[in-house]
Amino acid sequence: MYQYDDFDRAFLDERNRQFRAQVERRVDGALTEDEFKPLRLMNGVYLQLHAYMLRVAIPYGTLRSDQMRALADLAERWDRGYGHFTTRQNIQYNWPRLADIPDMLDHLATVGLHAIQTSGNTIRNVTADHFSGAAADEIADPRPVAELLRQWSTDHPEFQFLPRKFKIAITGSPNDRAVTRSHDIGLRMIERGGEAGFEVLVGGGLGRTPLIGQVLRDFLPRADLLPYVESILAAYNAAGRRDNKYKARLKITVLEGGLDEFRDAVEAEFPARRAAFTGVDQALLADITDFFAPPAFRDADEGLLDAARAVDPVFRAWTDTNLHPHRRADHAIVTLSLKAHGATPGDATAEQMRAMADLADAYGYGELRISHEQNVILPHVPKDALPALHRELKAQGLATANVGLASDIIACPGMDYCALATARSIPVAQAIALALEEREAEVGQLKIKISGCINACGHHHVGHIGILGLDRAGVENYQITLGGDGTERAAIGERTGPGFPADRIVPAIERLVDAYLDLREDADEPFIDTYRRVGMDPFKAALYDQAGDTAHAA
Amino acid sequence: MPHDLAPMDLSDATSAELADRAAALNAAYRNHSAFAVMSRAMDDPSVGTVALVSSFGAESVVLLHMLSVMDRRRPVLFLETGMLFRETLDYQRDLAERFGLTDLRLIRPDDAALAAVDPDGTLNTRDTDACCAVRKVRPLEQALAPFDAWITGRKRFQSGTRAALEFFEPDGARLKINPLACWTPEDVRDYMDNNRLPRHPLVAKGFPSIGCAPCTTAVAPGEDPRAGRWRGKTKEECGIHFVNGRMVRGPAPKADETMGETIVAKDIVAEDRGVEAPAPELAADAPAAPVIARDDGFSAEDWHAPFDALADLTEAGAAAVDVPSDADPAALAGRLDAARIIRVDFPSFSDGRGFTIARRLREMGYTGRLRARGVIADQYAMARRSGFDEVEVAPQLAARQPEDQWLARAQWRANDYQARLRG
Repeated sequence: MYQYDDFDRAFLDERNRQFRAQVERRVDGALTEDEFKPLRLMNGVYLQLHAYMLRVAIPYGTLRSDQMRALADLAERWDRGYGHFTTRQNIQYNWPRLADIPDMLDHLATVGLHAIQTSGNTIRNVTADHFSGAAADEIADPRPVAELLRQWSTDHPEFQFLPRKFKIAITGSPNDRAVTRSHDIGLRMIERGGEAGFEVLVGGGLGRTPLIGQVLRDFLPRADLLPYVESILAAYNAAGRRDNKYKARLKITVLEGGLDEFRDAVEAEFPARRAAFTGVDQALLADITDFFAPPAFRDADEGLLDAARAVDPVFRAWTDTNLHPHRRADHAIVTLSLKAHGATPGDATAEQMRAMADLADAYGYGELRISHEQNVILPHVPKDALPALHRELKAQGLATANVGLASDIIACPGMDYCALATARSIPVAQAIALALEEREAEVGQLKIKISGCINACGHHHVGHIGILGLDRAGVENYQITLGGDGTERAAIGERTGPGFPADRIVPAIERLVDAYLDLREDADEPFIDTYRRVGMDPFKAALYDQAGDTAHAA
Repeated sequence: MPHDLAPMDLSDATSAELADRAAALNAAYRNHSAFAVMSRAMDDPSVGTVALVSSFGAESVVLLHMLSVMDRRRPVLFLETGMLFRETLDYQRDLAERFGLTDLRLIRPDDAALAAVDPDGTLNTRDTDACCAVRKVRPLEQALAPFDAWITGRKRFQSGTRAALEFFEPDGARLKINPLACWTPEDVRDYMDNNRLPRHPLVAKGFPSIGCAPCTTAVAPGEDPRAGRWRGKTKEECGIHFVNGRMVRGPAPKADETMGETIVAKDIVAEDRGVEAPAPELAADAPAAPVIARDDGFSAEDWHAPFDALADLTEAGAAAVDVPSDADPAALAGRLDAARIIRVDFPSFSDGRGFTIARRLREMGYTGRLRARGVIADQYAMARRSGFDEVEVAPQLAARQPEDQWLARAQWRANDYQARLRG
């Protein structure tokens, strides 16, 4: 995994020193809040409903165990003992004191972490497939490229004051777990004629105007990446709208001008940008790649796993849902669910973070990952260690066997924390998880995603069932969308019709699940496939048919 | 959560209780930005029912736009004094329609009161205070009766009486909310630029502060923006705003002298009625010209020839060219050899197009002087790294961000990831 060198350390120390001085000027009153705002945003500090909020980047979702312990330290020493993992591989602390934030940043710097460009109208934390470097289906590990992009985008002088925020995601697998089609730039690592390169997607996004990214370049040679991405940013910086923040994202630039016009602007920009890169970046990429060499895997006895599965049904259920195929047959990728039924999705206590770090050291070569689905992953676990790992996870409340199931819900912080939210989302997620807990194994793969306002931080547009909380004349109202998909089969969900008040949204979701169980061909047809086969109408009937409503209520 | 709490009974607030409430709110909202103060205050049970009072003047569009983004159904009170400029009335209709304001209440003077004290509409020439009282102060008091609090657009920079302005202040029987209290003129301009808000038509004609037609005149460049209100009078406020709960009618008191004291209303208008005073001189300590920030600090301007606008350039080009933020530098192709200095404009510091323009000009082979205008000290390293040689700093900005804040970023070559990646 990547280790900071002298350059990275010197950069971060200087940046933290500058921000400390700015915080001091704010605290003593020399800077007003309005003057301070752009400065704090560049360093990940938001002003939330009740207090400041610090958003720390977890670049490409990869953490070492010592970094996870530092995140626990922050929660314990400067916050209320927990942190919240977000849908973009960040962790948020909701209760820091402004005067403490410089100390928090210095502590993060000791393990090579920072909060730079986690907010503001700039290039945000570059996200990647959370199974990178471990998945059986991977073509290439995207993390070295993501680290190169992190360095290139950090403090990039041209792109700190863009029309709007800018998000990049990268995957090295044909099965898209990084939601690349919902990003301003999505990069898919591919090969053509033996040459490594990228498929470049642009203009995806959720929010008020959900759009699926389009192919800007079907094959970009590997060495052209930085100048090409820089050309996209330059074209966007010049052409993106600045008159209306809701029309300022790249997706609107592409939508309004057309993909061809935008491509022409990028290609016109490219030759001069390409000439500025002499190959030093590719040499650096080679050095970075060495850091991501896989750990020294030990051989594991697969027989132990089968024996444990045979005697322990709880363990068997957990392995059915929370394991994914590893590149080595005798290892597994293990997802630790932060979605215990009735808990706040994505929250982890300092104690849990330390426990996960210890388990990574004991069973997983000291590596962890954070997924955009707000779970924590041990990417390399020898299969014979799984029974012992599961025992320890149970003790920490981290063995919930629900990954990919109905209660593995993505939810934004909602009105409980967020200044923009128009409705609560966490309590709704908790209530749905509890209502579906008993039969979720029978229901199978079902992605429910909840946003507390139209900015769509809960990714509801790409949920198989999406829920959008709105304010209707002072009353919370929840709209439902069906059929969304964030994978390589990307689709934006379709609205069912009128929304439901807070006290009727959970029964409505239960009616949808009942309808699915009636409609599916067999237990192997997941919700999204049934929806694609039968369409909206039968689900709509189940939702709004009064007779049905009464029958279920009885 | 505010929406979970039952509203307090605010109907018979005492002045001491009101002052306590204002102090508590100021403490709670101390760290909040203008938008947050306004949006939270509208739903805060300890504030109560709120109306926005707007003059639809030079800067009113900011709060009206914020309100329309938050909830366009909220009440907006507009004082139609009967003495307003035609342009103000047109502007008011335009904004109300553009923002879709659904509860705009036109507040007009009482007919009977007008008939009694100003039957022929000439009271303003005899007694401006009495005129303000019948056309603004009393109608507003009546219109505000159903509300616990009202939102105003007052700002600290506007006048001496407003220098210590807080977000919340007690005001007679109700709270007054000043979300823009801490905003500078640049903040107001940035907000209007960034949201492309229409300006009051009279601003372009030299009216930075706009009230009733008979009592508002244009101001000279560099003059205090409110100098055109009641010109020649010592009056600074119309009477609907108070200092420490008292109506202010006299010369601007120093903020620390007014604490807890009564400011006595004084009719000084009769002494010089009808006489227009000359525009006051520029303040002696106001820097007159922009300075140039470079790696060695501030220098005086050393380019004294005029700049030619890019749009007006001939085939031959020019020695000094002004490039606006929405320009395509390709328009300068073939004419760069003639240029010795190019100045790129940033309409607001949050508009970063100029950085890409600079990079493109360097990529096109331009090696002459490249100057940025409109960036702040915190962006100096970005400007240098994007290809600029220097920054033109406006006098007001140089006063607020003195030389040391620019020198702090002079080591821009250090810790630069771009240099590391390009070799």
